[in-house]
Amino acid sequence: MIEVHGLSKRYGDLVALVDVSLQVGAGEMLVVLGPSGAGKSTLLRCINRLVEPSGGEVRVGGESAPSSRADLRRLRSQVGMIFQDHNLVPRLSVLKNVLAGRLSRMPLWLSLLQLFRAEDMRIALDCLRRVELEERAWSRADRLSGGQQQRVGIARALAQQPGAILADEPVASLDPNSARLVLGDLKRASRELGIAVLCNLHQVGYAMEFADRIVGIHAGRVVFEGTPDALDDRALGRIYPGRSGKSPQEAASEEVSPITEQMS
Amino acid sequence: MKDKGLTFIVGRPWHAVQWLWGGVIFAAVAAILAWSGRDLNLSLAELMKGLPWIGDFILRMFPPNWGFLDRLVQPVMETIQLAIWGTLFAVLLALPLCFVAARNLTPSLLMFHAARQVFNLARGINELIFALIFVAAVGLGPFAGVLALTVHGAGMLGKFFAEAIEEVDPGPVEALRATGASPLQVIVFAVLPQALPAWIAATLYRLEVNLRAATILGMVGAGGIGFELYSSLKLFQYEDTATCVIVILVMVMSADYVSSRLRARILAR
Repeated sequence: MIEVHGLSKRYGDLVALVDVSLQVGAGEMLVVLGPSGAGKSTLLRCINRLVEPSGGEVRVGGESAPSSRADLRRLRSQVGMIFQDHNLVPRLSVLKNVLAGRLSRMPLWLSLLQLFRAEDMRIALDCLRRVELEERAWSRADRLSGGQQQRVGIARALAQQPGAILADEPVASLDPNSARLVLGDLKRASRELGIAVLCNLHQVGYAMEFADRIVGIHAGRVVFEGTPDALDDRALGRIYPGRSGKSPQEAASEEVSPITEQMS
Repeated sequence: MKDKGLTFIVGRPWHAVQWLWGGVIFAAVAAILAWSGRDLNLSLAELMKGLPWIGDFILRMFPPNWGFLDRLVQPVMETIQLAIWGTLFAVLLALPLCFVAARNLTPSLLMFHAARQVFNLARGINELIFALIFVAAVGLGPFAGVLALTVHGAGMLGKFFAEAIEEVDPGPVEALRATGASPLQVIVFAVLPQALPAWIAATLYRLEVNLRAATILGMVGAGGIGFELYSSLKLFQYEDTATCVIVILVMVMSADYVSSRLRARILAR
C-alpha cells in the first residue's frame, strides 16, 4: 500500500534521509523506531508531500509523484495523518474536526457554507463511534483531554476513508493509559479497515506491543527491519547508539552525520 | 579591602566603548530635545499669565445648560450611527485584503508588501484629514464622516486582522492541508476559527475608537455631535459647550467600559 524506494532528503547541506526503502501492506501496522532527529518526521512528510523528497520514489496505492495540485490533493486525501500534538482546530466542535477529514471529497461551495451531506455526517459519526467518542460530538475540541483529542485526530484521519495512515509520534505527549488506548484504536482501525499504518514512535515498549513489523532508523538510514521478536539488544544498539550493553567498537563504527528534522 | 561604599548597578558593567556609545546617545537625545523645543515658545511664565483666562473659561461653563440636552439627542444618535457604519464598511474593506497582508497566507511577497503599504497609507492619515477630503468630494454631512472613518478604520483593521492570521497555530493548518483540503477550505476551517476572536475584539475596539473620532468630525462639517460643540464655542455659549463635553465624556466612557469588558470575555473564550 505504501512503497518507499531509495528515498533521500537533504536540507541544504544537512542530510535528513539516506536511501530509505520500506513497504507497508494493507492492514499492517509498521512502527518506525528511532531517536529524536533521526529523520522519522521527515520520512512521514515525504510520503504525503508535506515535504518534497530530494530523491527516490514514493508510491501510495500504486500512485507515484503527483504532477499537479489536483493530483497532490487527491494523493493527500487518500492518506490520513495523525500528529504528535493532534492538531485539532481548538475552537471547533469534535464533530466538525472529524468532518474536516471529509473536506477533500465535498463540493467546495457546500463546505464554505458549512453545509454537510448526510453521507459525510454518517461517515464522521461512524468514525467517532470507532474511537468511542460519539457522545462528545458537540463538545468543543479543546474541552477534551489529551488522549481524547488524539482519538478525535484518529477519527479525522479515518473520515478520509484512507488507504494509508501516517502517525507522527501520536502518543509522545500522553500518559501510558491514554497512549495504549490511542495505539489500540489505531491498530484496530488498521486491522478492521485494511489500512496501511506507518507510525513513528520513540518508545521501544509500545513498538514491541503494537507493531506488526518494526523499522529502525538512525541518522536518516534504515538500520533495522523485522518483527518485534527480532528486535534484540544488538538491533536496539544500532538504533540507539550509546545505549548500555553496546561494545566500544560498535560505537566507533557508528556513522555520525548532521541531521535535522523539519518541525512545522 | 574595606567593606564600605556603594556600588551603582544598572545592567552589566560598561567598558570604554560602551561609555563612548553612551555619551554619543546622550548627546544625540539632548540635541533632538534642544532642536524640537526651540520653536515652540515653551514658557512657564506665559502659562502662569494665561491661568486666569483658563479659570474664567471654566467658570463660564458653569452651570452647564441642561436645557441644551434636548438639542443634543439627534446629534448623539448621529454620532453613534456614524461610528457603527464607519466600522462596518471598514471591516468589509479590510476583510478581502487582510489574507494577502498575512505573511503565512499571502500568494506572493510583492502582494504582501503592497497590501501592507495600502493599510499603512490609510492608517497614516488622520480621520479629520480624510473628512476634509470627503466633505469636498461628497459635500457636508455625515456621509463624508462615514467615508472618513471607513478608510482610516480599514487601514487599522486590515493590519490587526492580518496580524491575527499570522499568530494562528500552524499545526491545524498543516493537518487540514494533509487531508487534501483546498486552500480556501483550509482558511475557512483552520485559519478563521482561530483568528475570529481576535478579529471580533479588534472590530469592537475600532467601534470604540470610531465613536471617539465621530465626536470631532462635526468640526469640519462631517456630521455628529462635534458640530454642536464647535458652534457653541463660536457663539460663546459656554454653558452649552459644557453640556456637550459632559455628554461626549459619558458616551465615550461607557463605550470604553462596555467594549473592554466584551473584548476581555471574547478573548478569554
